[in-house]
Amino acid sequence: MTSAQQTTRTAVPRMAVPAYAWALALLALFALYLVAQDNGAVLASAGDFAHEFFHDARHSLGMPCH
Amino acid sequence: MAAALDSPRQGTAPRFAPLLGRFALAGVAAGAASGAWALLVTERAIAPALALEESRAGGHEHGEELVGRGTQLVGGFLGTVVAAVVFSVVVAAVYAGVRHRLPGRTDVGRVAVLTAVGFGVFALLPALKMPANPPAVGDPDTVGTRTAIYVAVLGAGVVTALLVSALVGTLRARGLHPSAVATAAVLLAVALVAATVLLVPDNPDTIAADVPAAVVWDFRLASLGQLAVMWTTLGLTAGYLVDRLARRS
Ligand SMILES: [Zn+2]
Repeated sequence: MTSAQQTTRTAVPRMAVPAYAWALALLALFALYLVAQDNGAVLASAGDFAHEFFHDARHSLGMPCH
Repeated sequence: MAAALDSPRQGTAPRFAPLLGRFALAGVAAGAASGAWALLVTERAIAPALALEESRAGGHEHGEELVGRGTQLVGGFLGTVVAAVVFSVVVAAVYAGVRHRLPGRTDVGRVAVLTAVGFGVFALLPALKMPANPPAVGDPDTVGTRTAIYVAVLGAGVVTALLVSALVGTLRARGLHPSAVATAAVLLAVALVAATVLLVPDNPDTIAADVPAAVVWDFRLASLGQLAVMWTTLGLTAGYLVDRLARRS
């Protein structure tokens, strides 16, 4: 049982992960930061609109807000 | 050909680009499902909190605000979709990196394990340490502190997941019985979650006396439900799509 499980596990080949995968993940997280937190720090005046526009999403996703 | 469909093929690993496409598609599905939950359930729990804020301000007019309520509902939906797609892209990169180490015989199982961990780190742990609050509860002066606490909790969750998986890898390499490995993993996870709850500072805000407990409680359940719908849809849809992709490659 144990050895059978281990055979199937070791049989799973490692995937090649290109560097852009991690760059894209970081970029995505930064976009989420803009949606979630930005109080005009990065987006300046457009930030006010984004802040109000995404207000309910911030609350409902459990992120800190007013 | 039929035999290859019956048993999972482990021969070649899928390439990243098509894998990312499958995860992103699942992210859109997860965003649509949890966005629908946001509009149908969470917004209904936000409404009484907004009414409370309005009555505090003494019947202050809506039109003066920068963004109207209708637009905020659209933003609530779209923000949820953005979050789901962001999570799907991050999960795709992590999945590509750890696929060969995840438990589970098929990609359905492996994706389910990883998205369950994601739900634990990004939804359950924050809900335990600093549960979501509706409008009318937070103190604008403490938003910086609360953000720091939130980020610290997410960081602690990621570290917990990494340490538990490292422990599992080490114990398994030493040939320990799977039940012993599982017990050790659960014990370490519980210890680290307890340490997070005890060591990270508490939310500095106190809930004002004029906010009914039911308003806060309904909102917290709606919010946790929304995140559960998001991660469940992401896990099931991506699992199905990636499994089909892996069988083809
Ligand atoms: Zn708010």
